[in-house]
Amino acid sequence: MLPTLNISGNLLLAERISTRTGKLRPGDVVILRSPESPRKIVCKRLIGMEGDQVTYVVDPMNSDRCQTVVVPKGHVWVEGDNIYASKDSRNFGAVPYGLLKGRVFWTVLPRKDFGSLAPKPK
Amino acid sequence: MGGWSSFISVVRAFCLLHVTNNYLGTAVFLQTYGPSMLPTLNISGNLLLAERISTLTGKLRPGDVVILRSPESPRKIVCKRLIGMEGDQVTYVVDPMNSDRCQTVVVPKGHVWVEGDNIYASKDSRNFGAVPYGLLKGRVFWTVLPRKDFGSLAPKPK
Repeated sequence: MLPTLNISGNLLLAERISTRTGKLRPGDVVILRSPESPRKIVCKRLIGMEGDQVTYVVDPMNSDRCQTVVVPKGHVWVEGDNIYASKDSRNFGAVPYGLLKGRVFWTVLPRKDFGSLAPKPK
Repeated sequence: MGGWSSFISVVRAFCLLHVTNNYLGTAVFLQTYGPSMLPTLNISGNLLLAERISTLTGKLRPGDVVILRSPESPRKIVCKRLIGMEGDQVTYVVDPMNSDRCQTVVVPKGHVWVEGDNIYASKDSRNFGAVPYGLLKGRVFWTVLPRKDFGSLAPKPK
């Protein structure tokens, strides 16, 4: 999740009200239970909600090939901000909404990043 | 002082309820919308007890009846039987109403395969695919209502 989050770790505050009420929007940073490793919580950025068309770069290290997919019902598409080094929906597909655990809204540590999170880098 | 101590009792009761509900077990009233778990569960609804310890510790086995958050409708909790864990090969009848055609699939890492006992009328992994383990919410171990079904659940009908 570089450059939004630090490589050596951040202390973040996440709230569950957005996930419970369904008020998430693309661009939010969310924490979710990994679909491949059920005991791991991962932090990614929400790219698309159900029904959205998502265009993504399949393998940014090797080519510029893009692919477009429609997010299935009840699912969301998440990607890390650092697509060169992120296992996300491009690898494990759209994630069922029930795996989302909260929306990250504040960085506590490191102190230089104290405050709300940056929007998705262009 | 009387008001304060009763307030503390209420807070304590809520804390106990919260911990129990999230980490031990929960009473689930299952309004079976559709007969997907006949004959194990009643078509007009059952009051079931589900425990969360098995799901949190990963001690589920094929044959267990589990409750899970539906991958297609995130607000719905559904009740299905666990058929295969990650890495298992699962053979299932694709469309039992129309043909006997079977298909075999390997359950991906971090996922489980669930099916209703009544495969003629069940939306389950045959429709929405293997379910990520994180969606499992508990293991059903006891039927409270209706009274004639009071007791542990039947194993998978052959």
